[in-house]
Amino acid sequence: MRKFFRSPWLEVNVMLAVLIISYLALALITNAAETEPGAMTGGAIFGWLFGFFFLSFAIALVAVIGGIGGGVLFTPVMLAFTPVDSLIVRATGLIVAMFSGLVSTGPFMKGGLANLKICIFCAAAYGVGAFAGAQGAIYVAQHLGDTGEGLIRLALGGILCSLAVYFLVGGKKIEWPEVKKVDGFTKKLHLSQPYLEVSLNKVIDYPLTRAGWVLGAIVGVGILSGFFGLGAGWAIVPAQNVIMAVPLKVAAANSGVLLGMGDCIAVWPYLLMGAIIPVFAAPWLVGQVLGGLLGALILIRVKAGFVRYLLIGFMFFSCFGLLTKGLIMLGVIKAVPVWVTGLVFIGIFAAVTRSIINFTRSES
Amino acid sequence: MSTDEMSTVEAPKMPRANTVYGNIVYWVTIVSCIICMIGPVISVAYPDNNTLNPYKLFNAIFEGKDAQTVWQEVGGGFPGGHFYLKNFTQGDGFTQFGLALGCSVALWVLIATAVAYFADRNYLYVSLAIWVSIMVALSMVGIFAAH
Repeated sequence: MRKFFRSPWLEVNVMLAVLIISYLALALITNAAETEPGAMTGGAIFGWLFGFFFLSFAIALVAVIGGIGGGVLFTPVMLAFTPVDSLIVRATGLIVAMFSGLVSTGPFMKGGLANLKICIFCAAAYGVGAFAGAQGAIYVAQHLGDTGEGLIRLALGGILCSLAVYFLVGGKKIEWPEVKKVDGFTKKLHLSQPYLEVSLNKVIDYPLTRAGWVLGAIVGVGILSGFFGLGAGWAIVPAQNVIMAVPLKVAAANSGVLLGMGDCIAVWPYLLMGAIIPVFAAPWLVGQVLGGLLGALILIRVKAGFVRYLLIGFMFFSCFGLLTKGLIMLGVIKAVPVWVTGLVFIGIFAAVTRSIINFTRSES
Repeated sequence: MSTDEMSTVEAPKMPRANTVYGNIVYWVTIVSCIICMIGPVISVAYPDNNTLNPYKLFNAIFEGKDAQTVWQEVGGGFPGGHFYLKNFTQGDGFTQFGLALGCSVALWVLIATAVAYFADRNYLYVSLAIWVSIMVALSMVGIFAAH
């Protein structure tokens, strides 16, 4: 009982209490409100506010464990099932991507699962890339047009698909990468930071390598992110893991911290142009904070294999989105129906669930 | 496993910069979240005390109107991203303050983290932290533009 009055449960309980009181008040107020001409009914507004919170909570829970921003799930769902303008969706998507990362930062830093030096090192590069990408978007779009953009999306989809396959067959090598030689540049950065791996009850000290290469890769990720307005979590985790040999769980935690930090740069232009509408975005933020906190507490305790399977699922789903969008832009295929996207999502995550169940059985 | 495992199971002490960064981001985010829980309640309770009447706002959003049109039709024009400074007691002004607080946390926390690194004489990370905080500040004042 005492643990519920200590951090993090104390603040979780306070937030839950405020949440329940707020939604009860919203239900009462909207129920009693009279509908003016040209306005939405109070009941419908309550339904949307509660539905947004609930969906956001679910997205944050899985996104934090996989080390991705929730935008990869939020944006297709909102664009597919609601008539909301795409700029408002993309701008709110940034709130979704960043707040689960922000709230999970606390538990990750306290436990040492996230490595602040790696995060700041990558954020310095990511910010430059995102800025260059956003500035160059109009210029390049004028020169490349839909064909060029389509080709870039296809190339990205291909790269991501190869990485997903590599993660699938890589096994333990992905979860705990091997480092044969630490280069001089990486050594000078003093990036390593030992931490207690709760799932193994061991202190892990991980050597790192090729920091210079990861710097280049993260600038590239930032450029793509700024250029296309894409979330970057799906690329940041493999970049750290495959290039710099960051253990998978650490890479997922770093990705959350980095998204929270980096999206503070990306989100302001949208706030300053009015694309983030406060009362519309607020329930998404609240869901991300509560779901993200719970997701972070789970990630600290789960085994790396669990994270790997979840990440593979997200990578294949993002890959599907990139490839189909690329082919549509090239005029090869027509728009993909919503039910096909839904079917692909269900298929991928049925396979992920089955793999996680098998993994849990084999571990126990 | 190729990583170097140590024999002890006691958790290593985290560097000061990590705890400073983690604690500030965590608590500011929670405050921002609580503000965003209360803001919409004030907004629907006093619909006329808003820049955007929430009942009309949701209708406009779900009619698929773009952001500029929504601000123009429901609120008579976009008052600027920092409109919460002049409309703090309004439902949506207070909510926007919560959003802005959370969205600017990286600026405040990286300055504090730079101080922590400075105290540890880790000058490389002092400069990197300041560099990232400058990027956030430039974005907040509108120098980093969206496409």
